[in-house]
Amino acid sequence: MTKTLKIAKREYKAAVRTKGFIIGLLLFPVLMGGSFIAMAVLRGQVDTTDKVVAVIDHSGFIADAVIRAAEQRNAGEVLDEGTGKKVKPAYLFEVVDPAGQDPAELRLDLSGQIRRGRYHAFLEIPGDIVHPTDGGKTPSVSYHAENAALDDLRGWLGNPINNAVRRQRLLDAGIDPDSMKGLFQWAQVEGMGLLTRDSVTGEVKDAVRSSEIQAIAAPMAIAFLMFMMVMMGAVPLLQTVMEEKTQRIAEVVLGSASPFEFMFGKVLGGVGVSLTAAAVYIFGSLFVIGQMGGMGYVPLRVIPWFFAFLLLAIVMQGALLAAVGSACNDAKDAQNLTFPAMLPIMIPMFVMFPVLKEPMSAFATGMSFIPPFTPMLMLLRLSTPGGIPAWQPWVGLVGVLLCTILAVWAGGRIFRVGILMQGQPPKIGRILHWAIKG
Amino acid sequence: MTAVELSGVTKTFGECIAVDDLSLAVPEGTVYGFIGPNGSGKTTTLRMIMNIFFPDSGVVRVFGERLKGSSTDRIGYLPEERGLYTKMKVRDLLCFYGDLKNGSNIPAEVDRWLERLELSEWANRKIETLSKGMSQKVQFISTVVARPRLVILDEPFGGLDPVNAESIKDAVLELKRNGSTVIFSTHDMNVAERMCDFIFMIFKGKKVLDGTLTSIQDLYGADTLRVDCEAGASAVEKLPGVEKVNDYGRVQEIRLEDRTDTQEILAAIMARTRIRRFEITRPSLHDIFVRIARPEGGGTNHD
Repeated sequence: MTKTLKIAKREYKAAVRTKGFIIGLLLFPVLMGGSFIAMAVLRGQVDTTDKVVAVIDHSGFIADAVIRAAEQRNAGEVLDEGTGKKVKPAYLFEVVDPAGQDPAELRLDLSGQIRRGRYHAFLEIPGDIVHPTDGGKTPSVSYHAENAALDDLRGWLGNPINNAVRRQRLLDAGIDPDSMKGLFQWAQVEGMGLLTRDSVTGEVKDAVRSSEIQAIAAPMAIAFLMFMMVMMGAVPLLQTVMEEKTQRIAEVVLGSASPFEFMFGKVLGGVGVSLTAAAVYIFGSLFVIGQMGGMGYVPLRVIPWFFAFLLLAIVMQGALLAAVGSACNDAKDAQNLTFPAMLPIMIPMFVMFPVLKEPMSAFATGMSFIPPFTPMLMLLRLSTPGGIPAWQPWVGLVGVLLCTILAVWAGGRIFRVGILMQGQPPKIGRILHWAIKG
Repeated sequence: MTAVELSGVTKTFGECIAVDDLSLAVPEGTVYGFIGPNGSGKTTTLRMIMNIFFPDSGVVRVFGERLKGSSTDRIGYLPEERGLYTKMKVRDLLCFYGDLKNGSNIPAEVDRWLERLELSEWANRKIETLSKGMSQKVQFISTVVARPRLVILDEPFGGLDPVNAESIKDAVLELKRNGSTVIFSTHDMNVAERMCDFIFMIFKGKKVLDGTLTSIQDLYGADTLRVDCEAGASAVEKLPGVEKVNDYGRVQEIRLEDRTDTQEILAAIMARTRIRRFEITRPSLHDIFVRIARPEGGGTNHD
């Protein structure tokens, strides 16, 4: 065992002392932080050029309501109150009279004017918008622009148009709209957690409002971190073992240590690298989140599980990847085998969203009990606000442990043969044969 | 005491028998040379002594014990193909290899060997900055730094210039003087002749020679005539009673058939040309090697 630890120590030092590791360690939060900063900065970078919209109003009154609403908005939102600086574009509307014009030609003409920059968009309001003539069909207003789908102005138009339509419908029904101000007030359905009883005082504790951060961001961040750590600690083993085999370093080491000690030492080195990076990220994140007062969003109970699953995941995946690496004769072999070898790590990423959406579904539960997927998916389910039955992570852990023992045993057998085998291409059948027959 | 003992060892790879029922005893404190053509089973035998390969049948004993993991701590191994972590510094790498052998006082031993092989000023440089010769010397140090009782060197002089080869040769002899047993494989017959107390030749997985140089040469008798004559190789061609001629340019080595009279051959050559010098001798190890590995008929070889 001491030789295993000596090899692990060398592996660990060789990995964490490289510039690549330190840069990678810093780069991830910088990139993550950078993208948030970029989003915040870009949020302020709004195009303040006034947007002029042509309106073909067949209803005869909606355009006026929209123009009034736009004037109100332009007066209150376009200029910053403190600095007087223009912070948003003004919305300006020009009514186009469709009388005597061919509707298709008019639309084509306005489209041309949008392309030339005369208008930002044009809006066509149907005449029957208040009382649609074609039965129960939802009335619609056409908004034409070069990029209508992602246009903020299109979203803004919904309120003034619908307010005007509702008002007119009330008037037509003989109801004074001003007396019914609260009629259309929307009721929010708020997501709340479940209630609990305080074990000490016996009092019923209020349910906590369930937030998107708790429901999506925290579980995904933890699962992504697990994925990254496996990528950092286990995946490089395939390449390094292949290099040590082709550079004949393996034979020198095998002159002093058994193949199992060699392989397991390398795997433990990978575990050390991952645990170091994970510790830096987790405790760094907790510190930052704590400073920002957001500790309530962090599922702290998951952290011990994270490290337990991470440890086993690296050993399990690392042993198999090292074994596959030992069967490779050159970089091309390693390249060809990298994708299939990484599938057990990739598949949980593919099913992350359905599992997150319904963590207690049969699919999510079943997938999280498949040992190669357990570390990531069980952790994901554990991190959701509702949690999962207490026995499930334990059973998952036992499954991963057994699979890890199997992976280390099979990996050791493959490694023992593969590391000194030269010139034979690494076929899956041959690797399995080595695992079974030794 | 016997340092290494192989009894009826066989190792196969698929259909290929790499080592076939090999028995061998290497006395402690000797330099034992392994010779044999490429692919004859030398490296496989060495790897079995190192416990890297397990024999299919037979027993390997090192210092009287059957091989187990800890046995390799007493063995230093220099593989034929050198393998060093290129990103590591020389001293760190040597300490790592020495430590892996559970050696004691490794840092001091590393410094002693670096000085001995004139590499002290490279101690803190990365392996990737070293020349090939320096890398080989570092690899040699990594083999001996844990003071092993048995040192196995697979082609230790391959690719070295004469100066570096001399340094390694002196180091090997120092190991022997200090009581270590040294087994090395080589294709250089002159080195084997000059350095080895015992020579072992393996051919197609089987032992074909094993003993001191003298005892091996005794098997072949004084059947070789070395001549330096004015007409060169043409003067010794197609002589009756000659089994084979090795032409070295300035000197021709003539292997005689059994019961051929040396005087008659010399007389026949003198009839063709003037002889400047001649010597009746036993076959060189090189000649014996070629006779076994390339057992062709008569004719002239121009080496």
